[in-house]
Amino acid sequence: VDKASRWSVAAVAALAVVVLILPLVVKSSFAIDIFIRILLFSFIGVAWNLMGGYAKQLSLGHAAYFGLGAYTSTILQIDFGISPWIGMVAGGVVAMLASLPIGWLCFRLRGPYFTIATIATAQALMLIFLKFRDFAWGAEGTTIPNLGNAPLMMQFEAKSAYYYIALGLLAIGLVITWLIERSWMGYYLVAIGEDEDAAEAIGVNAPSMKRNIYMISAFLTALAGTFYIQYIYFIDPPTAFNFNISIEAALVAIVGGIGTLWGPVIGTILLETASTLLQSWLGSSIGGLQLTVYALILMAVILWRPTGLMGMIGEFYQRHAGRERGAVT
Amino acid sequence: MLETVAQAVINGLLIGGIYALVSIGVTLIFGVVKIVNFAQGEFVMIGMYLSFWLTTQFGIDPVVTLVVTMPVLFVVGVLVQHFLIRRVLGPNDMPQIFLTFALSLLLLNLALMLFSANYRTVHTSYSDQAFHLGGLYIPVAKLIAFVVAMILSGALWVFLHTTDLGKAMRAASQNRDVATLMGINPNRVFCVALGIALALAGAAGSLLMPFYSAYPFVGQVFVLMAFVAVVLGTLGNVVGALIASLMMGIAESLGIQYVGADSGQIVVFAMLLLTLAFKPNGLGGGRVR
Repeated sequence: VDKASRWSVAAVAALAVVVLILPLVVKSSFAIDIFIRILLFSFIGVAWNLMGGYAKQLSLGHAAYFGLGAYTSTILQIDFGISPWIGMVAGGVVAMLASLPIGWLCFRLRGPYFTIATIATAQALMLIFLKFRDFAWGAEGTTIPNLGNAPLMMQFEAKSAYYYIALGLLAIGLVITWLIERSWMGYYLVAIGEDEDAAEAIGVNAPSMKRNIYMISAFLTALAGTFYIQYIYFIDPPTAFNFNISIEAALVAIVGGIGTLWGPVIGTILLETASTLLQSWLGSSIGGLQLTVYALILMAVILWRPTGLMGMIGEFYQRHAGRERGAVT
Repeated sequence: MLETVAQAVINGLLIGGIYALVSIGVTLIFGVVKIVNFAQGEFVMIGMYLSFWLTTQFGIDPVVTLVVTMPVLFVVGVLVQHFLIRRVLGPNDMPQIFLTFALSLLLLNLALMLFSANYRTVHTSYSDQAFHLGGLYIPVAKLIAFVVAMILSGALWVFLHTTDLGKAMRAASQNRDVATLMGINPNRVFCVALGIALALAGAAGSLLMPFYSAYPFVGQVFVLMAFVAVVLGTLGNVVGALIASLMMGIAESLGIQYVGADSGQIVVFAMLLLTLAFKPNGLGGGRVR
């Protein structure tokens, strides 16, 4: 084990300790709420990044899988009394299966038109849930029955419990990304992202690779959907299939550093902190303010730092390391 | 029965003219600059607010505000190309998609902050008037919008086929490298393409004002329709986009007539999904990208 990787193991261990004891130190429920948002959107960004970041299949329709996960677990819970813990996995499987026909349609187009097709499929799913009211409460939605403290039904009195679930999800997402990054699949995905035709020419089965990573990405996004609905105790189509979820999934990954392990996490921390600070400075929430700020940050990143914050950190580290080496010689 | 169908077709055709203005802009930009402008709908929204402002402040007829909205948005288009899009043109898709997407997000939410989510409407003397042809009902405001939209589309076709600049744009759309070798300045051509596309969006804004409300999200209605029409009409093909837009208008109108009042969007999505499944290269065939 070389020095650099020993350092990074130590850094991750230190980070793990900090995030594990954070809810024990910080008692403010407002702060915990923000931490949960950061963990949740980091996780969604990580799920998006697997497909959007590594394979550069730029989806703006991940709300489809978020919503399918949310609805699957809610229907199982309310109509069949099945625990959301099982419903969460079931939702992931439903999302995975749904990604097959959706991918079959959308992957026919490349580049921006792939993106548009993903937007359209997510919107179409929302419309289906809005229209067919016998199917899942229609436009009114439903509240999740509050059972008090019922850990087996994913309901807790303490907010910190939700924090640890979100943290667990993010950890799973990061480990999966880390494993894929180091596998052949990771290299194939990056090759597809760089130039799909060239990747196919050297023998990468691009359609199957894209299908597989889309399934993994959809599965993870659906887990977030179940968690979110359990956290807010309410579901309706505009909440579950909210276009802003699709936007934020892509945004945090791009701002933080597209196609990097930690990019979505760093991006979420920056964006969520910025929007929280702005909202507390300007008092009550002004409609459109948060997304205006997000849009400005996104434009700035694209125009000046397309590699995102991770790219900036990398450059800084290299300059710093270079100076050190220069001092030795 | 036949009359109901005919009425639905007329309604669809009339609104299809507006869809055409938006989708011709999208397809023109895609053909010449090779990017998708996600913000096209927001420029329709800006055109509508500008038209609303001119009408309420100076009492100008909303249709006449076209002489202001078109040049203003032409200039905006040139600026957007020169200062934003020019910087992200390259082999990488990500910056191109997310730059115009961010622009759309920015303009929409700025409008939400500045003008609130309220609906703004203009009432003109002809807003409620209609021609009666047999049993058919043809609203004047929509007819004016359709006729002007067709005149503008025709003018664009003549421009693209007879002027040097128009021919240069078509050349750049067919093969950018060769066009550059022939002495065509790509950035100048791109600026004009963006300018024309946004001017058409501005025109759509003015033409809509007598019978449609302005609100921050209004662009989303038209841009989605335009994206579908542009795929259906084969990417980059101006005439294809025009025909597809009219078809989409009619399909939407028949959907509203026979499926339900709020099913317009479902028809649009169904058409997009069917197009993707069976004719991903558009009705005219051809190659995608």
